Amino acid sequence: MEIKTHISVKNLNIWYGQHQAINNISIDIPDKKITAIIGPSGCGKSTLLKSFNRLIELQDGAKVSGKVLVDGEDIYDPKVEVTHLRKKMGLLSQRPQVLPVSIYENVAYGPRIHGIKDKKKLDEIVQRYLIESNLWDEVRGRLNSSASKLSIGQQQRLCLARGLAVEPEVILGDEPTSALDPLSAECIEQRLLELKNKYTIVLVTHILRQAKRLADYIIFLYLGNLIEHGPAEEVLNNPKYLKTKNYLEGKFIEEPKINKELNLKRTAYPNNFVTAKLALGDLEFGHIVKIIVDNESSAIEIPKAIEHEGHKILEVRKLNQNDWEIVVQKHNGGYVI
Amino acid sequence: MNIRIIKENLVRRTMFGLCLFVFSLVFLMAFGLYQKSKPILAIISLKDLLFSSIWHPTQGHFGLSSFIAGTFWVTAIAVIIAVPLSILTAIYVSEYASKRVRSFAKPIIDLLAGISPIIFGVWGIIAVVPLVRDYLMPFFTKRFPFFPFVSDNYTGFSALTGGIVLAVMTFPIIISVVEEVLRTVSFEIREASLSLGATKWQTIKYVVLKKARPGIIAAVILGVSRAFGETMAVLMVAGCALGVFPKSIFDAAYPLPALIANTYGEMMSIPLYDSAVLLAAFILLIITALFNMAGWGILLHIERKQACG
Repeated sequence: MEIKTHISVKNLNIWYGQHQAINNISIDIPDKKITAIIGPSGCGKSTLLKSFNRLIELQDGAKVSGKVLVDGEDIYDPKVEVTHLRKKMGLLSQRPQVLPVSIYENVAYGPRIHGIKDKKKLDEIVQRYLIESNLWDEVRGRLNSSASKLSIGQQQRLCLARGLAVEPEVILGDEPTSALDPLSAECIEQRLLELKNKYTIVLVTHILRQAKRLADYIIFLYLGNLIEHGPAEEVLNNPKYLKTKNYLEGKFIEEPKINKELNLKRTAYPNNFVTAKLALGDLEFGHIVKIIVDNESSAIEIPKAIEHEGHKILEVRKLNQNDWEIVVQKHNGGYVI
Repeated sequence: MNIRIIKENLVRRTMFGLCLFVFSLVFLMAFGLYQKSKPILAIISLKDLLFSSIWHPTQGHFGLSSFIAGTFWVTAIAVIIAVPLSILTAIYVSEYASKRVRSFAKPIIDLLAGISPIIFGVWGIIAVVPLVRDYLMPFFTKRFPFFPFVSDNYTGFSALTGGIVLAVMTFPIIISVVEEVLRTVSFEIREASLSLGATKWQTIKYVVLKKARPGIIAAVILGVSRAFGETMAVLMVAGCALGVFPKSIFDAAYPLPALIANTYGEMMSIPLYDSAVLLAAFILLIITALFNMAGWGILLHIERKQACG
């Protein structure tokens, strides 16, 4: 399947003061698909999402390194105009944040700050996007009443209309249904499914069923690390790594106990593989070895070869610019952890 | 169990009593002042007292209009200077300033709010009076020789000077409160605006200030109430000349609080003098109360409008 990339993250690190919230993540987010970022609370889902429109910079003490390319352009380049970037990225937040003005003004706010003054044009925009977010029929008679009077589900749809009204390319959803009742949530989900033909959608969600219903592509984060990513069916039905599997099954995630560490830096494939294979031979069944390599081809090839040998790959993860970590369990037919 | 309930009742009643006492003070004061100013009201009509500008206690003339006008001049000038200045400063401190600048600016502003009025008064005489006398007044009377700028008072002790000093005294309070109010506006709603591509200023102008408006109005009311009642500093710099009806910002002004502070307790042998001064106090109380009520009325109206749309 040929996937066009829309947002490309390269070696992204984000710190809040001393705490590293995102640890060297590199990932491509496909164009005009729904990508769901899943993972337990505090794993950096929202942080990753908010790095896409640079809202992360507003947090006190937040520091970003690495690149995020949108349409091939690095958004952290000082030359990039941040308002222009944010216009491209509609945001749906956890709780709907309506502006303290009327329904009409909420939708017209975006176009207006970007310079559209013509009343007729604004009317047209307001109507078009209220229809697109399936709110028009409910509010057409009271466009000038305060938006805070709407139910919370209607407010979230209003926020969607407001976001769409600036004609973004990407919709970022930060658990957009978590504050809503089931019916409103379903309504928002339905809208998102309709919208994915036109927009790239990135959703943070902690509802696995929602990810299953909506996502074409899954990113699984754990403690700021990218554990696994891929097409939704693959990741959700057939996760490669232990942590993903545990998370999807609702089990407790814990770091595997490492019995042996192998530093195979500065050796190339297949030599490092042979060393690893010999080391695994000495190990007891069920024990775990952590292998560190310093080139990408080894990080791709060694896991394949080891899996071929019948062992279990628990995790493959990029540690920093150069190094990869491969966690292998010597196979004895079942997991020990 | 029983003890607990008795305690509960005791605490509630004690606090209710204290609360009642505090509330009743306001009314007691108003009533007392009214009682004391009754004698003069019985002899001279309220209209004469309020609208005559002749103040000759020995001859029985107690026209308060120039003092009332003085109060309004000084307060209005203070508000015109302090309100925009302090709101913009508060916006800068809460929205734009880095954490370090904020942690540095806040205590200084609070310190300014706590400085004794007499120090502001002295500062006014040393710094503001010469500024008005040597620069502001020549400049304005030459360039704008019309209504609020024409005056023959060249001393520098004027309504404008009082207003400037008063503004400096009010703005720490307004800044402090407005800053607090701005910080209560949730981060998420700013995010919502910013994520639509709004600039920071657009977000502040259309979203943050709108959300914070009731609080800002409350802050202004608080500041203006202080300006109405402030005595010492104004007394020192506003000129306080008798027999002058202030027609210009450069005229000497004699606000009500200064009149009361300067005269009450002296020359009590003059008939009706103390009654007249207490009437001035009563009028001051009423002006302040009316202003406060108007302010809270506006606030209530806005809140209701925001709630009902």
